[in-house]
Amino acid sequence: MGGSEAELTLEASAAEVAAPVRRRRRRPRLATPALLGLPIGWLVVFLLVPIVIVALYSVDVLALFPGPHSFALGGWYRLFHQGYMSLFWKSAQMSLIVSALVVLAAYPLAYFLALSGTRRKYVLLLLLIAPFLTSYLLRVLAWKVILGDNGVINSALRSLGLHPLSFLLYSRFAVMLVLGYVWLPFVALPIFVTLDTLDRRLLEAASDLYASRWKAFLRVTLPLSMPGVVAAFLFVFIPTVGEFVTPSIVGGSSGYMYGNQIVDFFQQGFPDWETGATLSLFLIAVISVLTFVFVRFLRLGEARAA
Amino acid sequence: MEGEPFDRRLSRADMLRLAALAAGAGVVAGPAAAADAAVRHLTKETGHLQVMDWAGYCNDGGQSMYAAYVHAHPQNKPVFKHMTSESNALGQINAGARPDLFRPYVGWVKYFAKSGLVQPWNPKLISNFPHLNKNMVKAGQYQGKQYGIPDDWGFDSILYRTDKVHPKAQSWSLLFDSRYKGKIAWFDDLEMITIAGLYLHAKNPWNQTSSELSRSVNFLKSKKNLVRFNWASETDLDQAFAQGDVWIAYAWPNDWVQMKAKKLPVVYMHPKEKPIAWVGMFMLLKGSPRPHLAHAYVDAWSSKKSGKWLEDNYGYGHANTQARPQSSQLLRALQLSNPKAVTLPNAYLDRDIPQRSQYNAAWEEVKRS
Repeated sequence: MGGSEAELTLEASAAEVAAPVRRRRRRPRLATPALLGLPIGWLVVFLLVPIVIVALYSVDVLALFPGPHSFALGGWYRLFHQGYMSLFWKSAQMSLIVSALVVLAAYPLAYFLALSGTRRKYVLLLLLIAPFLTSYLLRVLAWKVILGDNGVINSALRSLGLHPLSFLLYSRFAVMLVLGYVWLPFVALPIFVTLDTLDRRLLEAASDLYASRWKAFLRVTLPLSMPGVVAAFLFVFIPTVGEFVTPSIVGGSSGYMYGNQIVDFFQQGFPDWETGATLSLFLIAVISVLTFVFVRFLRLGEARAA
Repeated sequence: MEGEPFDRRLSRADMLRLAALAAGAGVVAGPAAAADAAVRHLTKETGHLQVMDWAGYCNDGGQSMYAAYVHAHPQNKPVFKHMTSESNALGQINAGARPDLFRPYVGWVKYFAKSGLVQPWNPKLISNFPHLNKNMVKAGQYQGKQYGIPDDWGFDSILYRTDKVHPKAQSWSLLFDSRYKGKIAWFDDLEMITIAGLYLHAKNPWNQTSSELSRSVNFLKSKKNLVRFNWASETDLDQAFAQGDVWIAYAWPNDWVQMKAKKLPVVYMHPKEKPIAWVGMFMLLKGSPRPHLAHAYVDAWSSKKSGKWLEDNYGYGHANTQARPQSSQLLRALQLSNPKAVTLPNAYLDRDIPQRSQYNAAWEEVKRS
């Protein structure tokens, strides 16, 4: 009896010990789909399925107009033979310039906010993102008042007896300037976060090893902040390469971009969803490849740093 | 039943009842009321009337023009969906939008009539129909059927500032004048290909041969550097013109009215190659569940009162020949007292472009060059 009681107690103890283990095993099995189900479902329904639909339009398997249609590569042929590539390259160039300049402009700002030790850094950060409290469209439209032939800048130039500048509005310059303004806070934030979490002891160590501030920046701060810089660059490049709102407002005939061409195929003149879908898909593909390359670059950088 | 013209859906008994009711009501209150009473009795159309129309013609400024409809059918007030172009409307409809009626312009009547997406109107159910401009009414017909009910109209021409611009000739050439580089606005539409064809004396600017089309494209490409921007919305054009960003523009009469209101010295040119006249055409979607309400809506838009309001407030003409604006300037500019204003020898009435997709590709080529 006593022995069996002891066995029972032992079994009970084993069960008590085992029970939490079982629960621990079970929880992830239920929790993972529950936690990931919604975002994955969201991505499938609102990203993958639309991309598949766009792809089917691009090869004429789906078509806007009723009637016979079948698999065809006309849209893809047109993409590579009718000047769309040069338009894409023009847009990519504009976007690259904007992204690079904005990163260059935002870095010192983020550096100051993160490393200067100012107690008001979060207030300043709030001020930086304050324009986001107003509508995107309004912020872009406001530039027309500033850049127009009788706008703030040209009026000031005239009052100083100088010749007004006609390239300020309805030009590539205007598109790049406004895009830079719009995306600057997006760029500053990831760089700020990287610099703010930087291990300051590394800078102290660099100082102890007689590195100048400039050398410490080049050898320690900059490499460690590269993930933030690359993320910031992508934050700007990805949306701006397909941008169409800003160029349609301030771009004029010379600031016409690849994104405008896509919109036109769906909205203007006569609908051509096949070519529009092809152009869209090409844009998605290029951005996906670039993102992949950048991520690989980041991982390589991290591995080297480790 | 769906897909059939709505008037064929009425049975013979319905038709007899309609006739009896129309006759009875006609004795008491006149033919318009008769038709209305009969329609209300016979048709059990329910729900809000679905209208696809341009910004400014919906509940964002167009209320006065369909007020009579809302008054008569308070249970079936219109619900609006915007169209930004005929192409946009075509895309929306093909993608599943089902408005009861929409408003493309005259150049698209044949296309939509042939597409099978629309059905003809019954002019007898539109009491104001007899007052509509006969030339415009004719332009709304295809194979003898009234697919389009004309309403607003105007011209495509050139607006310029007299204090800044001194044209060498009253001609479309002003849109391509290198003396005014950076001060010119074109229209963001394939119609620019037609205008180039008109200027370059293509045999038929609306149906250019491939060599003529290439010539028009190359010409526009060579002149594109003179252009500040291609406008797609009148608001954009009016702002740029008022602020002095452009001095010369492809424009509509309303833009001239707006600039006059801002006291700018402007002229709305009548080019020697002729302006292009456009007419808004209400079209009835095939399978519409509210065809009679759609007729009532169009009837309200077609009235003299609505026409006058449109002319006074938007500076466009109205197909109702009895409508007259307060401004004698507008009367003269649009030649509203001339029933043939939209046709030759005064203007080219815009028309079907058989190669519309090629024209569109050509215009897109100009833009991305």
